[in-house]
Formats: sequence, structure tokens, C-alpha cells
Amino acid sequence: MPATELTPREAARWATRGGLPLPADRHAAVAATADHIHSVVAVLRELDFDDIPPALAYRAAEEAHDAAV
Amino acid sequence: MQPYELTLAEAADAIRTRHLSPVELTESVLERIAQKEPHLRAYVTVAADRARSAARDAARDIAAGHHRGPLHGIPVGLKDLIDVAGSATTASSLVRADHRARTDSTVAARLAQAGAVLLGKTHTHEFAYGLTTPQTHNAWDTDRVAGGSSGGSAVAVAAGMATFALGTDTGGSIRVPSALNGVVGLKPTYGLLPRTGVTSLSWSLDHVGPITRTAEDAALVLTALAGHDPRDAASLSVPATDYRPRSGTDLAGLRIGVPRTYYFDHVDPETEDAVRRAIEQLHDLGARLVEVEIPMTRYIQATQWALMVPEATAYHENTLRTVPDLYQADVRVLLEAGELMTAGDYLRAQRSRTLMRREWARILKEVDLVAAPTVPTTAVRAGQETVTWADGTVETVSDAYVRLSSPANITGAPSLSLPVGHDSAGLPIGMQLLGRPLEESVLLRAGHAYEQTRPASGLAPAA
Repeated sequence: MPATELTPREAARWATRGGLPLPADRHAAVAATADHIHSVVAVLRELDFDDIPPALAYRAAEEAHDAAV
Repeated sequence: MQPYELTLAEAADAIRTRHLSPVELTESVLERIAQKEPHLRAYVTVAADRARSAARDAARDIAAGHHRGPLHGIPVGLKDLIDVAGSATTASSLVRADHRARTDSTVAARLAQAGAVLLGKTHTHEFAYGLTTPQTHNAWDTDRVAGGSSGGSAVAVAAGMATFALGTDTGGSIRVPSALNGVVGLKPTYGLLPRTGVTSLSWSLDHVGPITRTAEDAALVLTALAGHDPRDAASLSVPATDYRPRSGTDLAGLRIGVPRTYYFDHVDPETEDAVRRAIEQLHDLGARLVEVEIPMTRYIQATQWALMVPEATAYHENTLRTVPDLYQADVRVLLEAGELMTAGDYLRAQRSRTLMRREWARILKEVDLVAAPTVPTTAVRAGQETVTWADGTVETVSDAYVRLSSPANITGAPSLSLPVGHDSAGLPIGMQLLGRPLEESVLLRAGHAYEQTRPASGLAPAA
């Protein structure tokens, strides 16, 4: 098993740490899915982001009036 | 021709000129629903009495000279993620069994103000987190998937069970079922249509948009629904625009990007042939074809997943802890696994999105739009889990369906899917036109011109 893959037990610990205690019968399925997601998203580490900021929407001044329908 | 067969534009003209009443149209569509719904299961709920009452109100207003515009008296289905005051927004999930919306979503309120007649709520893949909508059957072959997640909306429009519908699109969920059911789906620019009161899958990727039978119909819906809503943080302030495309088919001067990479890789040959023929048709109408290189293709799926998965998990944080057993198995495990992603994963995806938007903006300076298949293959059989490509590559059905549509969710650029033919099994094929942000009118003009060159496609031979 590659060093980056989670065992079912590790997946359960990570989930508990995130505030989601998982019943024992969920550990293996969650570990497998989490590993698959990890294998997909890990390629983003190849990118050189330099000083590229994240694309997050944020407005300092909130508009408080009601929406016009 | 029966009233349920009319396009939105045709029905609107017939109502405006008093050749058709909203009551006749609504009764015709409700009768069609009674016939076809048992075979197609597009709807979560049909509110027939409410629809009849709204149709009578519309008829009375119009008779009194108060015609509100092209949606007045037109029957519409709403994906069941969209709040309507007093109704459940079930998200096609047991988690929402006791839900009751207190107020209208902004889009439902704008539809009501425009005089549209709400037929009911249409099925979604549970909480929009999937590409098949397993409860619903394809309108062309009931053994095939509807596509998703706005499967109910697309099937309803394709089968004459709604004159138009609204869907939502986070990775392709308007365009995928539209392509698989032979109707038109528009994912507008991110922020153009407000999402207040619409259940989220992933805030930074979610869009609301129309599913219709023609590009002109999509334009009519977009015109009625666009506009700033301060309660949606992403909502854009744009001037009121009439998106209805002008008549005529001359596309002289339009530069259409034809992808050299990505969009024709691992695509069914019949789909590729139909889309390339449609692109040639656009060329025959005067457009200039320009080969383009699609940027950062290696990072599209990673960016989509690393945005969507943690955002979806965050949205469901409470109910995943209190009622996890009420989720379907496929959705539950994705939500649970999303808890294990790191902030680093998410921020890399948001930074990748910045890069991808810049690269696409560069391409869209060289061309006015990009034309490509919406999905790489037509509707698969229900229960089929993978697609095997000619080189032996195996891909899950969900990955295949989302692959070509997700770039427009990441960049926020508009994408219009329209039917361009059928495969040898008679299943519809979709082409998407991707454009610059807020240039929906360019896509709708090209789509409308293309449609003028073909006979009207007609309704799906449902069930």
C-alpha cells in the first residue's frame, strides 16, 4: 500500500478529529473514497502558484437592503 | 399540434394574441404529465390544483389587458432544490422529508412575478451530488439514464411535461441531462442568476439556469430571471438585458474555437461526428473556425473535485452527523470522505481556478466562443457504472459525463448545450457553446442560428 493511502483506522481517526465519528462499518468505504479523491486532487501540487491568489469571492461592504425580485 | 408540444416562444405568442389561453395550455401539459409521468418519473410532486388556479389567474389578467410578458401563463417545472414558499424542497432526499420552505427563492419569486404557472418540483440526483438521477428515466429510452443532476427538469421538458424548467449546474448538471434528453440547457455566467433560496451543492460552482426546447426559449427565461440579488454574495449587478436572439442566421464575423485537445479525446465517434457536423454548419452560416488549445487540461478534474467535495461536505455538516443513514450510499460516502480533505487541497484548487480563468480569458480573446461536445457519449443504460473507450481506458459514467462540462463551472463562463443529432440507437447528442462571461447573447445567437437550419426536433418519443 502506498505510504499516502489511509488505512480504515486512520480514516476513522481523521474523521473523528474533524468532528465526524464514524461507525466501524464505515471506515473501509470512507478510506477508499478518501484515497481516490486524494489521488485525483494531488496533481494540483505540481502547479507553480508563485503569488497567485485563491479565487474567492469576498466583499468588505455588505449590502443590507432587501433583494429586488 | 397539441398545446403541450409548443415551444415557450410559440406558446407565448399564442397567448399574447389570444389564440391560446393559459388554462388550455396548463390543462394540456397536466394531461401529458398524467400520461407520461408513470413511465418517466420526472416529478417529485405535481401541484395540479395550484397550477390550474395560477393559470386561471393568468388568463383573467391577460383578458383584462395586463399581459406581463412572454412567461405569463406558461407552465414551468422547478428542480426540487429551488424553494417555493409553503412547499417542501426535498432535494430528492429522505433527509428533507419534513422540509417546508418559508419563502420563495429569488428565481421562484421572479417567475411568479412574470406570471409563470408552477407545475411542480422535478427530481434531482440526491442533493445534486451525481450525474444520473436514478429515480427518473430518459425521455428517449426508459432503460437509459436521465442524466443529472437536473434529470427531472430535462426529462419533463423533453417529454412535453413542462414548457420549460429550471435546473442547477455545479459540474454540468443542467447541460448533461439536457444533452442526454435532446433539449437546450443554459448554464449562465456565474452570478448572473441569483441562487438565494436554492439548496447548494458547492457555493463557488453552483449556477441556476433554464432548460428549454430552443435557444430562443432559453433567452426568454434568462431575460426574465437575470438581475442582481444582494442576498447572493456572488450575484452580479448587470443592466437589464433582452437576450432574445434576433432573427436571421448570418454568423459572418463570428470566430468559433474548435478544440484541438481535450474535448474530442475519449469521445464516442458518433458524438464526435455529430458535433463536428454542427460546427461545419456554423461555418456554413458564416462563422470562422479557429483551432484552439484547451489550457490546463491535466488539472480540470482535480480543481473541480477539490472545490466541490469540501464545499459539499461543509454544507451538509449538521445532517451528516445527525441523520447520516437518510442519505443514499453514493452521496453519504462522498460527504464523509470530504471531511478528510485538507485546507491545502482546497486552496490549491482555488488558486488553480485563478490560473484557469486567466488562461480561458486569453483563448476567448482569440475566439468569440468555443464549440465542443457537451458529454462524450449518449445516455448509458441504467445501472451501467463505467464506460470503456477504444484505447481500453475505463472511466466511471459520472466522470465521463462531468468531464467536458466542468471547465465552465470552474471558470464561471457561460455554456449553452443544444441538440445536434442522434446516434444510431436514436439517442440525442448535445453540443455546447462556451463563451466569455456575460456574453450569453453570443451563444444564444449562434444556437438560434443553428436551430434555424434544422427542422424542429419535436418531443421525445417518451415511454
